Amino acid sequence: MTKQELTSYIQEKFSGEIQVIENDQKEPYLIIQPKDLHRFCRFIYDDTRLLLTFLMNMSGVDTKERFEVVYNVCSYRYKLRLYFKILIPYDKAEFDTIRDIWPVADWFEREIWELFGVNVNGHPNLKRFLLPDDWDQGYPMRKDWQGRDVITLPER
Amino acid sequence: MAEDYLKTEEMVVNMGPNHPSTHGVARLILHLDGEVIHEIEPVIGYLHRAIEKVVENRTYAQCIPMMDRFEYVTAMMADWSFALAAERLSDIEIPERAEYLRVIMGELNRMASHLLCVGVTALDLGALTPFLYTFREREDILDLFEMTCGQRLTYNYIWVGGVAKDIPPEFTPKCREFLDKIDAKVDDYERVLTKNPIWLARNKDVGMIPEKMVYDYGVTGPSARASGINFDVRRNDPYSIYDRFDFKVPVYHGCDCYDRYMMRIQEIRQSARIVRQALENLPEGPVRAKVSRTFKPKEGEVYSRIESARGEMGVHLISDGSPKPFRVRLRGSSYSHLCAIPEICRGLKIADLVAIFASLDIILPEIDR
Repeated sequence: MTKQELTSYIQEKFSGEIQVIENDQKEPYLIIQPKDLHRFCRFIYDDTRLLLTFLMNMSGVDTKERFEVVYNVCSYRYKLRLYFKILIPYDKAEFDTIRDIWPVADWFEREIWELFGVNVNGHPNLKRFLLPDDWDQGYPMRKDWQGRDVITLPER
Repeated sequence: MAEDYLKTEEMVVNMGPNHPSTHGVARLILHLDGEVIHEIEPVIGYLHRAIEKVVENRTYAQCIPMMDRFEYVTAMMADWSFALAAERLSDIEIPERAEYLRVIMGELNRMASHLLCVGVTALDLGALTPFLYTFREREDILDLFEMTCGQRLTYNYIWVGGVAKDIPPEFTPKCREFLDKIDAKVDDYERVLTKNPIWLARNKDVGMIPEKMVYDYGVTGPSARASGINFDVRRNDPYSIYDRFDFKVPVYHGCDCYDRYMMRIQEIRQSARIVRQALENLPEGPVRAKVSRTFKPKEGEVYSRIESARGEMGVHLISDGSPKPFRVRLRGSSYSHLCAIPEICRGLKIADLVAIFASLDIILPEIDR
């Protein structure tokens, strides 16, 4: 399937609201509603013409306006790639877990929880992950984070 | 009666962080019933250097040395994946010679990494000799790198827009000399290991990764291809100039540690084939495009992926058009592999855990970043 076919196929089959981001990359890039997330992942995993069964990467992003979580899935059988993201407002920083579909999402979500402070609904194991156990300086990957030992150099 | 006074209970044993067979500083909390593993809790973060945060305050040229530290066993490929991401967001034309040099260095680095993996797996399972053999050949590759860029581990060689400098004139004969002997050397390792009864007993049918688990945990690279997944980024989604080379992607169906070892042996041979072809066709010309010191890519978002020695290595780069990256997420394949270890090891013995850990070739800095 080409990029165009893949996008229209998903839009046709999936009943939820989907926005398409136009870019010049080879793979389609979609925006999913956070409430549809779990249903969407189940759909792309199970659909026999997609079989997007690999979860390659999940990145948390702080855009200075909101949080975003970018998912990167791939199908080995049909050699397909798909990126999609959910937008999470600052005042309601939470999203649903998908670790029952891809167990590896367990770690990706824990990392986003720890470094961005975005709560993961339904995740049973939100424990300290990369940072030290006694870390008390907030969420370091947020853009407005200021650590105790960080010195900002003047702009040259 | 025996039941009255004999009580069995689960024992919790701590393995690591400074355990010789955890290849770095992984700590595994093992829940054991005698010698049988019930549950493993990996504890990571001992090598967390906040690379993703640090690069947000650096220019693109300054990011490359950080990538070396992200994955120091295949540092060439880490540089490459970052450079590729930045280049996809700009219109830089990479000189032909630079592309060939990238392939040569990348494949030599893959061979060095696989040699390390095979040797260390043997060492972990009690065989010292193959370790010394493989490190002898790895040394030759590191000498080639040292000759080219002055470093043996953190190369800082593949830059945005090309490579740092041209290879010295003595590189090509040295490299050819190495390629001429590597096949015979790999035969030597095979003679020591492949049909060795102890090696077979420790590896055959140990650490099965069935197809479903490959999907569940996103296992990629040689470990996935040893489970019958015929996927290689170099062939299926060629980056750089990989579509010009003639090479095979070996696939095994055993799903066990033994096939993961065979996979690596075959990949060393295939990589040697690619380097030979690349040296043959190496064109003359510049090795670096003109890239300014304050290189600014276009605004946008990109995910670049390359086939590193242990699986897919990806860089998710978001740029806001300034000279510093807005957000970088580094995907190392060991991350997914370590996540799968509790599932693979459930019900096996502790000794098998060592074999599995080594056969997946887990490198910790890639996970902790």
